Amino acid sequence: MIQFFHVGKKYGDRVALHDVGFEIPRGQFVFLTGASGAGKTTLLRLIFREEVPTSGQILVNGRNVASLPLRKVPYLRRTMGVVFQDFRLIGRKTVFENVSYLPRILGSDRDTQKRLAYHALRRVGLAHRMNAFPGELSGGEQQRVAIARALVSDPQLLIADEPTGNLDPELSREILRLFLEVNLRGTTVIIATHDRATIERVGGRVLTLDRGGVGSDVQLAGTEPPRLEPPPEDDEAPPVPAWPESDAGAEPLVPPS
Amino acid sequence: MSLAQALAYFFREAAGGLRRGWKVSLLAVFTIAVSLFVGGVFLLASGNLARALERWRAETRVVVYLRPGTPPPAVERLRAEAARGPAWVRGVEAVSPQAARARFAASFPALSDLLRGWGEEPLPATLEIELARDRPLPASELEPWLAAWRARPEVEMVDEDREWLGQLEAIIAVLRGIGLALGGVLLAAAIFTIGSVIRLIAYLHHEEIAILRLVGATELFVRGPFYAEGLLQGLLGGGLALAALFAGWQVAQAEAQESLLATLLAARFLTPGQSAALLLLGGAAGLIGAVASLRRETLRSEA
Repeated sequence: MIQFFHVGKKYGDRVALHDVGFEIPRGQFVFLTGASGAGKTTLLRLIFREEVPTSGQILVNGRNVASLPLRKVPYLRRTMGVVFQDFRLIGRKTVFENVSYLPRILGSDRDTQKRLAYHALRRVGLAHRMNAFPGELSGGEQQRVAIARALVSDPQLLIADEPTGNLDPELSREILRLFLEVNLRGTTVIIATHDRATIERVGGRVLTLDRGGVGSDVQLAGTEPPRLEPPPEDDEAPPVPAWPESDAGAEPLVPPS
Repeated sequence: MSLAQALAYFFREAAGGLRRGWKVSLLAVFTIAVSLFVGGVFLLASGNLARALERWRAETRVVVYLRPGTPPPAVERLRAEAARGPAWVRGVEAVSPQAARARFAASFPALSDLLRGWGEEPLPATLEIELARDRPLPASELEPWLAAWRARPEVEMVDEDREWLGQLEAIIAVLRGIGLALGGVLLAAAIFTIGSVIRLIAYLHHEEIAILRLVGATELFVRGPFYAEGLLQGLLGGGLALAALFAGWQVAQAEAQESLLATLLAARFLTPGQSAALLLLGGAAGLIGAVASLRRETLRSEA
């Protein structure tokens, strides 16, 4: 799913990442952790091509993200959902409009947009707030709307940057449970957080960044993993956005040695 | 997303943007309206003058004034000679002194008493030579032909309209040039204004633009509403300019009874084609302003 090969990133003379290498298989749940300034956010931004590495290669689904032309970046992002600590919702749009952007971009009709947005909002328990504006919601609700937006088209990969940073412990647990449920449905989940207590409680694969490099890569059992029921099959699950036919195989599949 | 869906989305968003930022948009619309109004005024005036010129050119003729006392047989001989002239001579009419007097009396009844006191015929015999109207006359043939008539001993003077029509034509060309230059400068200013307004709107929505990109929107999807907004501003400006022009033309029409200038300059309004062109020019200016202001680097840095 995701492969980093000797990836480095510099901002001027400042080194944000150096010689980072790892592999995340499809369907894995990964915590990305490290002290502030360790390079967590930079690493996530490299995955969804908000940044380009200074050196090395990044493959997402076998596609070299670093050499991806700008015009193809939207197609990469349509296979991912991204959640930020500050939610990044559009204040003048309703919850429904915020969540239904991707179906609209993909050309879905109004009914399909409503159906997909409703399903996504139902998954985060906010189906009843479709017509509310973000300003009318609590912080936890806004974060759940942001997650619904990320989930609306069943992405192959869900990336979250400090998704619980602004939330109280109870809400944080609720949001994490949501991510785990999403992961149970087959979506690869990467969560960047510096909250060691949560990581130790939930468990899973933990990639620790230290001064721009991979400090450790371990599997934690978790002291108190949440109990999850397998999600019911959803007959109306939305299609996963696919790369255009013309793009298939345009980038190297084999990483450099 | 189909083209129709995309356009519907662009214009829906653009209309919403115009509603939300109507004060800023009004500035852009007004600027483009002023530039198109000024250009339109010159277009209207020069178009009407050009039509008058065409009309007068169609009536162009050469009048050969014969010396007083030229006997009628000589007048007839000269008429026949003129009629045998170049191919662009369409017809020749000999006007005797008596006929000229009758014409004068008919045209100016109040002054007819003036002619009664004269013993001899006061007006000379003339030859009125009608020239071809359907094509420009070759100056290389016309000038020697006129010079030959002027040189004849029976001829007092030769009068022709081409000189002042040529001057009028030059005035129209200058008028068009001024209109083009002034309209062009103002249009450039309008494009700049629309560009600035769109850039400002894009800046105000930079977070939204960043979010759209994050969820996988293409550049066209991100920029389309801004392009549509520029286009709408331009079309509104064009429409406003047309409305103001029409109102001004109506006022000139009311004045036309008393003013020769108003009659000349505002005889007819712009043709439907010209009106549509003015409107489309506004739309094009708005679109150009929007496209120019949202260069890739601009939006990238804002996003």
